[in-house]
Amino acid sequence: MPTPDNAPAQAQVDQAIDWLVKLRFDSPCPRTEQQFQHWLASHPHNPLAWQRVSHLSDELAGLPKGLSRRTLDGSQRQRINRRDHLKLLTVLAVGGSLGWAAREPLGIPQLLADSSTATGERRQLQGSDGSRIQLNTASAIDLRYSAEQRRLQLVRGEVSLDSNPNDNRPFRIDTRIGQLATLDGQLLLRENDQGLLLAVRRGEVTLFPTSASPRRVLPGETLQVWASGSFQAVTLHGDPWGWTDGVLSVQQMPLGEFIAELARYRPGLLRCAPEVADLKVSGTYQLADTGQILQLLTRSLPVRVDYRTRYWVSIGAA
Amino acid sequence: MQINDTLKPTEVALLYQAHHRWLSGWLRSRVGCSEHAADLAQDTFVRLLRARQLSPLKEPRAYLSSIARGLMIDQFRRRALERAYQESLSHLPEAEVPSEENRLVILDTLARLDRALHQLKPRARQAFLLAQLDGLSIVQIALRLGVSRATVERDLAKALGVCYRLRYADA
Repeated sequence: MPTPDNAPAQAQVDQAIDWLVKLRFDSPCPRTEQQFQHWLASHPHNPLAWQRVSHLSDELAGLPKGLSRRTLDGSQRQRINRRDHLKLLTVLAVGGSLGWAAREPLGIPQLLADSSTATGERRQLQGSDGSRIQLNTASAIDLRYSAEQRRLQLVRGEVSLDSNPNDNRPFRIDTRIGQLATLDGQLLLRENDQGLLLAVRRGEVTLFPTSASPRRVLPGETLQVWASGSFQAVTLHGDPWGWTDGVLSVQQMPLGEFIAELARYRPGLLRCAPEVADLKVSGTYQLADTGQILQLLTRSLPVRVDYRTRYWVSIGAA
Repeated sequence: MQINDTLKPTEVALLYQAHHRWLSGWLRSRVGCSEHAADLAQDTFVRLLRARQLSPLKEPRAYLSSIARGLMIDQFRRRALERAYQESLSHLPEAEVPSEENRLVILDTLARLDRALHQLKPRARQAFLLAQLDGLSIVQIALRLGVSRATVERDLAKALGVCYRLRYADA
């Protein structure tokens, strides 16, 4: 790689670093210092390399000790529970909620211990293992990594997990209805009134219901799992993965179901009158603006939207 | 000269015309605020001007979004660091609270150190903090961590190498 004329080459930097380690963190004998002086003069780039490296170390040595320690510990958000050797995952929010996360008066422990979203919010997280996790509206998870395993607990709501297959620790997922395990899975979990909806897109996932025998779930499968432990393959009126791209994507979904779906993303009441509940809705809608989705419905269906207040909306016959 | 391995300004200008609008949209859908997204999009192109990259880009959008993603992560880490700093101040006697001017210097240095530590294995991280912040010697660190002197020396050199790259190369 070509190097700009004014920057020392990597070799000089590496040598300067070795000298710094010897001179600053060890007790050098006079002979070492002599050799160092000799090195310094032996190449025109060495003095600059040395100046940069020692400046770097000076800067760090000048940091206030206690304050810096605390700040780093806090910011790395790693709390090690020595008793059970579980290490909390360093969660980096890299997605849609940055602005929100900054405004939210959450302390670091809360941010760490579990990650959650408010109604209407979606959030993307990246685990320290490289796995990508997305939380849908009104959801919460708990993540814990240890040397042996990766562990995710679905506390409430809906989550999608894209497990990094290059990490060979098993990923265990705890839910109300039992446990799941995968190595390389890309899967989606959604709590619902009946229990849990499970969709697998990639890899192999094993379901361990609390009161039934394990079942392998393969890519393309979508299962409804009941609290009893029984499960059934289901066909949905929409794409369960849509929200991970910020959309609600449905085909021939009854309006009543569509409105119930939409209500998950809106604070307040959203009601659908029974006489229009069986009308069918198809299309892909941007979840960022649920008000606009309601507006669009009035164009394609014989319905009207009544706003009693911003938080109390009903859909009825036009 | 540096010109040799960075994109030419005219190339960046073309990329800007072709992808700026797309990138702003991509960012907006992630940060949820169009002003914030616009700032990050600008920063992405500033970073692109300085990045070492043999032209031409094969997949400009993948490249741009990976720069932008890095910026979002940096920003998130910086905020976390600032919050942690603020929290840590409450543990300090008032006389030891750094001045506002020093605050920025300290935070910048800590931000770089924090990024460097993220790239290190736990043992190297610990050795480096013991040496740089606590002022322990190599012998003391070797005893404390139960490893050889040579191992500590290697860990420290590695850590300094990472810090150097962050300070002078990837700016």
